[in-house]
Amino acid sequence: MNVLKLQGNPSACRTAVPRARGSCRRTGPLSGSKLEIPLWLAKGLHDSKRRIISVELPKIYKEAWRTVFSADANVVDLHKMGPYYYGFGSQLLNFDNPENPEIAQSILQTFISRFRRIMDSSQNAYNEDTSALVARLDELERALFRAGQKGLNDFQCWEKGQASQITASSLVQNYGKRKFTDMDG
Amino acid sequence: MDVEKLEEIRDRERKEDTFTPMPSPYYMELTKLLLNYASDNIPKADEIRTLVKDTWDTRIAKLRLSADSFVRQQEAHAKLDNLTLMEINTTGTFLTQALDHMYKLRTNLQPGESAHSQDF
Repeated sequence: MNVLKLQGNPSACRTAVPRARGSCRRTGPLSGSKLEIPLWLAKGLHDSKRRIISVELPKIYKEAWRTVFSADANVVDLHKMGPYYYGFGSQLLNFDNPENPEIAQSILQTFISRFRRIMDSSQNAYNEDTSALVARLDELERALFRAGQKGLNDFQCWEKGQASQITASSLVQNYGKRKFTDMDG
Repeated sequence: MDVEKLEEIRDRERKEDTFTPMPSPYYMELTKLLLNYASDNIPKADEIRTLVKDTWDTRIAKLRLSADSFVRQQEAHAKLDNLTLMEINTTGTFLTQALDHMYKLRTNLQPGESAHSQDF
């Protein structure tokens, strides 16, 4: 389920629209109306031959925003714009749209320009509060950030010598067993 | 673990754009072990620690720079000589995941593709 919704124009006749169970009325959205439907529904209804719906792009994939991305992709708050920019954009390419090649190119270039910053910030922020750094990243970038942080943390852990120490597992600590030192006397 | 030799290695690393061969493919691990457990027996242990750390930082910075230019120019193949395993491990996971995503985004550029992956 995606946060962004698409605008669909049901342009075929009414019988093409699925009816709610139990209702006997034959009313449904009239052709030419605009609806917001989730991505999975739009994908299911999409058929280039029957033209049940046509899709309008969310504004972040349109020309205006694409120019912003090509100018400097680092300033954009991708989380606010829809936290699944890359994933959703890739799914959008399923709907035949004349702007598809530009959209695909723009998504790729955005990723490339933001890559450097993600790499640097994830590898240099050890044991700090990273919420300011990840606030503007979308979900895919956040997963990458976490991978980078994990690599850094593991390295620091090794360097401190914690890699060869035996520590109590966090699962066991929660059992609340009495510790050895508590049992004496 | 000679101070002059380490200084020389560090300066050479800073001058070169590519990676210089290290005296041992496990220099980080050896340094850590020796300095942690036998620091009294090694003269100038702190200086050695600093020198090795400087060399390490320089090499990691070069690695990141080359990873960035690799992604930026969307090259298909890169060859890095004289990297040690420890350096590869610190940046490996991140880099492979990032390249994975980039690959998926690049396949989107192919027009007329009917089999878009359902799960991203």
